[in-house]
Amino acid sequence: MNPREVAERLHENERKVLQALSGRGTATTEELSRLTGLARDAVEKASDWAATKGVVSFKEEVSQFFSLTDEGSVYAENGLPEQNLRKLLVHGPQEIAKLKQTFENLNIALAWMRRNGWADIQNGVMELTDEGKKVDDSPEKRLLRALDKPTPQSGEAFTEDETPVLEQMVKRKLVTKNEETERSVAITDFGRQVLPELEAAESVNVITQLTPEMLVNKSWRGASFQRYDVTLPAPSLSPGKRHFISQVIDYIRRFWVELGFKEMKGEYLELSFWNFDALYQPQDHPARDLADTFYMKTPYSGQLPDPKMVEQVKETHENGWTTGSLGWQYKWDPEVAARNCLRTHTTSLSVKQIAKLTPDDLPAKFFSCGRVFRNETIDWNHLAEFYQTDGIVIGEGVTFRDMKGYLKAYMEGLGVERFRFRPGYFPYTEMSMEAEVWIEERGEWMELFGAGMFRPEVVKPLIGIDVPVLAWGPGFDRLVMQSYKVNTIKELYTNDIGLLRRAKLWME
Amino acid sequence: MPVIVVNLEDLRELLGRDVSIEEFQDRLPMMGTSWEGVTEDGFHLEVFPNRPDLLSIEGLARAYASWTGARTGLRKYPVEKSDYKVVVDTKTQEVRPWFVTAVVKNVEFDDPLIRSIIQMQEKLHVTHGRRRRKVAIGLHSLEPIEFPVTYTTKPPEFKFRPLGERFEKDLTWILSEMKTGKEYAWTVEGFKEYPMILDKKGMVLSMPPIINGEYTRIDESTTELFIDVTGTDLKAITEVLNVICVTLADRGAEIHEVHNHYPDGTVLTTPNLEPWVMDLDNDYVNHTLGYEFTPQESARELEKMGHGTEINGNVIKVLIPSYRADIMHPIDLVEDIAIGYDYDNFEPEIPPISSEAGEDPLEVFSRGLRNFLVGLGLLEVVTFMMSNRDKLFHRMSLPEEPICETDNPKMEAYDSLRNRLLPNLMEILSTNKHHPYPQNLYEVDDVVVIDPSTETGARSRRRLAITLCHSSASFSEIKATMNTLLENLELEAEVVEGGWDCFIEGRRYTAMLGGEPLCWAGEIKPEVLEKWELEMPVAALEMDIDKLFKKIYLEK
Repeated sequence: MNPREVAERLHENERKVLQALSGRGTATTEELSRLTGLARDAVEKASDWAATKGVVSFKEEVSQFFSLTDEGSVYAENGLPEQNLRKLLVHGPQEIAKLKQTFENLNIALAWMRRNGWADIQNGVMELTDEGKKVDDSPEKRLLRALDKPTPQSGEAFTEDETPVLEQMVKRKLVTKNEETERSVAITDFGRQVLPELEAAESVNVITQLTPEMLVNKSWRGASFQRYDVTLPAPSLSPGKRHFISQVIDYIRRFWVELGFKEMKGEYLELSFWNFDALYQPQDHPARDLADTFYMKTPYSGQLPDPKMVEQVKETHENGWTTGSLGWQYKWDPEVAARNCLRTHTTSLSVKQIAKLTPDDLPAKFFSCGRVFRNETIDWNHLAEFYQTDGIVIGEGVTFRDMKGYLKAYMEGLGVERFRFRPGYFPYTEMSMEAEVWIEERGEWMELFGAGMFRPEVVKPLIGIDVPVLAWGPGFDRLVMQSYKVNTIKELYTNDIGLLRRAKLWME
Repeated sequence: MPVIVVNLEDLRELLGRDVSIEEFQDRLPMMGTSWEGVTEDGFHLEVFPNRPDLLSIEGLARAYASWTGARTGLRKYPVEKSDYKVVVDTKTQEVRPWFVTAVVKNVEFDDPLIRSIIQMQEKLHVTHGRRRRKVAIGLHSLEPIEFPVTYTTKPPEFKFRPLGERFEKDLTWILSEMKTGKEYAWTVEGFKEYPMILDKKGMVLSMPPIINGEYTRIDESTTELFIDVTGTDLKAITEVLNVICVTLADRGAEIHEVHNHYPDGTVLTTPNLEPWVMDLDNDYVNHTLGYEFTPQESARELEKMGHGTEINGNVIKVLIPSYRADIMHPIDLVEDIAIGYDYDNFEPEIPPISSEAGEDPLEVFSRGLRNFLVGLGLLEVVTFMMSNRDKLFHRMSLPEEPICETDNPKMEAYDSLRNRLLPNLMEILSTNKHHPYPQNLYEVDDVVVIDPSTETGARSRRRLAITLCHSSASFSEIKATMNTLLENLELEAEVVEGGWDCFIEGRRYTAMLGGEPLCWAGEIKPEVLEKWELEMPVAALEMDIDKLFKKIYLEK
């Protein structure tokens, strides 16, 4: 780019900096701030931009500052201990034992005397060496005095001869040394070529920001636009956005609807009857334990539905009723069934839906998508509530192979490549099955969700006839975690605003 | 569900075949178990609670040999006649009524068998036995026992020498001082007298379901056993006794019957290891599986699952082994055929069922709202439904009201269901102070409120909450947000001064639709912001979406 083009691209602040440098060539950012009237950070930013265009460069200068430590201040006043001892010895040898009683800082003094080779000790008597007799203490004294000021002293104040003494004092922790780096900006040769072009570029009326006024008074005509460096970074915005789980739920709904399923809805707070009994789970089944299920204090229990159906469910539990089953063979208690709980699976919606159907409504396909609850202690991998989506297909002639067909479609829809269906166990299904995915990294199968055909003991008491029902209830938290590279299930529900703002869109 | 540890060598020896670990890992899940990994003790396998017969390594070997075709069909387990007699005292009928027994001879207690029996007993106690209350098993050395044995009850001051103790102890001491006593005391809580099994001499075999007596201790030299199973459910204890007997029989032991005399005169002779019969219609099989098995083919698969079969035309007479506790309906036999044939071998198919499809209208409506709010620059959050009173009321400076509360929460912070969305949004603001502002959030989801008119006494309601949080968040901004939303729904609400206590007085309103409150809004009180440790103003609203939906969807 030639100087003229660069001149046109300079931002107003860059121009100010360049002009301020025209006389003196180099200035610190602080000085530039004073010269241009811009804030210090504006100067720094403008200098950075200008540097990328090659019109200025940076120089960094390191300055040293020295000041006395507490120990150094004491010696500045009283003299260095070894010097004091040396002066004492000038008058003749001294006994160490005696010095111990009278001389302050004797150990420090002795150490330095010995290191400097100023004295010999024989039979407890100390005597100056020839070296010790010649010592001149004036440079140290002068330095200590010079540093004994309230503010640190610049290194420039000391001569080259003094430097070794100064460094020695730094090592001895009598003096502290601080370094400050000052960045100064210098105009480059190219910058000097650009300088004369500035005025010309300015005189053609350069527009920085196009304003409504310019459009109204048409002052933009004949003007040129200040050229931007289009490669410079721009800040990120905070978008208004759907939560990623909410996006996934939309996707799952669409997925079911495209397969021809109708949505069923229901309550979170449910009778145990719908959550367990209607699913032929015996009343002493461990899944009904307080340890896993939230039971309600308020409202404690509710009203059982249609007495005829309730009676059928009761009979089925007790003796199989007319389902052809032996039943669980125990005494069924309506009070246990009337107890309210938080639904532990959305399968409760499926059986409630079946109870609403008549044989004329068949065949039918339903799905649900909603939260379920487990009485867990919440930690990184356990939540008390999470999402589940259930599907049922009910109709004469529906078979086990059809179930494999739907589940295969579901797995493929989710993009799972290698999967299998193995036998599983649920008290309310027969065949029961677990859908598993192959995890290549671990070299093993991982359970993804359970499925099965509702037992006749579930279906017949609810709808009055024995008709096959395919049912499955996948959770999808694992899938979302995998997709969003979230390692723990809790992060899905933390609502970290940073994560929500940058989480990728669910584009399926 | 119970997980058992299987020693690979033991299992191979029982199978008489050098099966690789890879084969087990691949195939056992297809037989109806769950592979849980390998440790130095062996592989870990989850057994489904309906198959207690698989809880021992002998049972696993029996099932695997059948399923892989090595030894199919019904296995015969003969029971020797005997005149062993036990008497069930009428006193037990009030507390722990059921008692079945067996005598087993020719037992060779080597390490693998001891390991297997201990593991099986332990797992049966936990699952099938519901931690020993429903079923408890006692294994005794037969040698010291003098018949008849009596199952009765004894008062708390009764003394005997429990297993592992040097001296006689009374029953109260056993329940309050011994480890197993303390662990299982709950199973006999409230009893005036405790169940007790004694022999003719009055020596104690066991205090079920707590602990055995030292009298019948088993050691490596024991070759003859007396087995008792007590409980509250005859079906369950019979299944457990059968499972244990066939396991020992698989190791070459001889099973002998015992006559259990009940107070009503009934005599139960146990164990009964004869199969029982269920008829299976082959059409039902094919109809359910979507397959065309001939009766012979179906029968072959049943034999792979250990059943005996006799074919009469289209009906298969199935002889179900005594140890299979899970068969209660022909559908269970259909599943056995599916497992026998292998789930993998069924071709998937999608039936041509056309049925009405579609989303719930409230969900469609909610999605419309969510997308509109995103257009206003709001960020959607999804929060927990479970909450607590402190969050819902105290921190919001709102008066307490009845809400849905759980009886047995593991965590107090999650003991209730939310009746408002707004507190959750405030919480999110308080945990995200390090992120740049403005933080303008919304949530469209359900709350649950008390409603005596429903089946349960509660009802879920769909709500919308919005919080605008930045240095100039104001009343007019939140009101404008509501107005914009309503305008776009072609609705107009009447704004009345006053509303929820979490808003500043004189800067809060209730918007009415058709004479009923639709929306509550205003600027959040500084004292509430302080409780959430927020140093940024918040303007907020909460709206009843059910009402909105009813107006838009149902009245048009």
